[in-house]
Amino acid sequence: MRPILLQGHTRSLTQIKYNREGDLLFSVSKDKIVNVWYSHNGERLGSYAGHQGAVWTVDVNSTSTMAITGSADNTAKLWNVQTGKCLKTWEFKTAVKRIEFNEDDDMALCVTEERMGFPGTVTVISINPDLEAAQSDEPVVTIVNDGGPKAVVAGWTYLNKFIICGHVDGSITQWDWKANEKLNTIKPHSESLTDIQFSTDRSYFITSSKDKSAKIFDTITLDELKKYETDTPLNSASITPKFQEFVIVGGGQDAMNVTTTSARAGKFECRFWHKILEEECGRVRGHFGPINTIAVHPDGKGFSSGGEDGYVRVHTFDSDYFKFKSDH
Amino acid sequence: MPADTLASTKPSWADEVEEEEDAFQTQVYTDENGLKVIVEYRDNDDGKKVKVTRKIRTKLVTEYVNKAVAERKKWAKFGEEKGNKPGPDLSTTTIGENIPLKLSSSYAKTPTAEQQVDEQEVKMRAALKSKNIMCRICKGEHFTSKCPYKDTLQPLDEIAASLEGVKNEGSSRPESPEPSGGSGMGPNKYIAPHLRKGATAVGESPREKRDDSATLRVTNLSEDVTENDIYELFRRFGQISRVYLARDRETGVCKGFAFVSFGMKEEAERAQQAVNGLGYDSLILRVEFARSS
Repeated sequence: MRPILLQGHTRSLTQIKYNREGDLLFSVSKDKIVNVWYSHNGERLGSYAGHQGAVWTVDVNSTSTMAITGSADNTAKLWNVQTGKCLKTWEFKTAVKRIEFNEDDDMALCVTEERMGFPGTVTVISINPDLEAAQSDEPVVTIVNDGGPKAVVAGWTYLNKFIICGHVDGSITQWDWKANEKLNTIKPHSESLTDIQFSTDRSYFITSSKDKSAKIFDTITLDELKKYETDTPLNSASITPKFQEFVIVGGGQDAMNVTTTSARAGKFECRFWHKILEEECGRVRGHFGPINTIAVHPDGKGFSSGGEDGYVRVHTFDSDYFKFKSDH
Repeated sequence: MPADTLASTKPSWADEVEEEEDAFQTQVYTDENGLKVIVEYRDNDDGKKVKVTRKIRTKLVTEYVNKAVAERKKWAKFGEEKGNKPGPDLSTTTIGENIPLKLSSSYAKTPTAEQQVDEQEVKMRAALKSKNIMCRICKGEHFTSKCPYKDTLQPLDEIAASLEGVKNEGSSRPESPEPSGGSGMGPNKYIAPHLRKGATAVGESPREKRDDSATLRVTNLSEDVTENDIYELFRRFGQISRVYLARDRETGVCKGFAFVSFGMKEEAERAQQAVNGLGYDSLILRVEFARSS
């Protein structure tokens, strides 16, 4: 397949996200820029200007009318997707590392950094889906992991029942956010989590970690369902929604951390693992730096990866991807 | 005037040159397969004219999309893209090279190209191990040129020592390193020349001294004597480490003298006594110990 290279960023990518139909791809980077692209041909639709610091995270609502971003300038901003106008800015005490709309698009969770005496929090803010309406300043609830390790990633479960948080020490916690109560904790990873992505129905999720593994868990029971062990610290993991049962993981050690290098350029790879059989099935190389973020197109026909090298590579699968049958 | 009209109808050389230039025009046409072909002429980096042919196959893909998706396609561009015309901008969007995704159930078990190269190396080494390869520098089981300590200074003396040892014992390799293998043998310690094993304070390495004490100067050689002749003549007295035949720089013809170095001083003495006064190619040879100046 011939990937489309999107060169809209000058610094490393932090997150990419497809909208629900998959025709738009949002990309955010440490260079303070938020871009939105048409995913079928890589044409850039526009950019959202306003953040004063690295943009760590982005999400878009299910109607593709509003997008929300979190940044190192201690703010989260709400944008009108079509016009590029900033509708609302929420101020926090520290940087916002992860942001996600809930299933009803009327709330968003923000994972804030722990710094300068301020503990890391997961703050739920409410969003008014009406583009013209004023947005509330007051958070609905602020969850603090009392003295425990800070959360680095988080996500909503189905029906917005719970919030799942991934922490810097490798643990995962489940919260009843309405009551601000921790329900469950497990420690499946030995190093920090780097990404959490849910299945389409949010009944299970995959986590990637610096301990070189990715695991799948049940949302409610937090049972570990699958495990994928690789040889490189992983920065992102994603589940293919249709046609094939794969998970795509990616990561990589930065050049300065590697002591034995092979001289090949473009050697950072997205790895395809069979979700059920826990076997590696293939790799797609191309990035010149560690892969920071992976997103699968909602129709299952392609995927994208964003790297430390500042490129977003948008891939569309060839026909033999769909014909692949594992011989087991 | 008639002369003028004649001149004007005759094509001048200037016009001919111009016609050639016209031949290098960009052509766009559609060939029999329906491919659009663009033929351009341009100068490449070496200043030479190159013909660039591009064949473009255009495929029309009709996709049925969600109404909302179609609506979004019509949105005006904003932000950095404001005012840009529809279609991807080449400064932000390019097509990468073709990357195949080879899916297989046993992906992890198939060796990659790198792994295969490594495997070959391992196999080669294993095959060679049986042939008793030894490095002259560190006596390891690898070729001298592949030695990890190849570029440290100390080993040069050890090479000489082992070479001498080789000659002395007449075997293919000494069984153990020279007993005077010396202080700090190994890759990590630098030893100053005057502190190295066997070195004299004056700075003359023992190897050269030994060499000169066993070196003979042969004079009154005829013009057509070669190094090989010298070698054949003197080898019966012992192992020859060096033969130098003085030649004239321009003509290459022998200047009439040569130097022969033996491994042992005793060999040189025997040779000197035997060859001195010997008739060779209708000349009487003179052999004496070389005096290095």
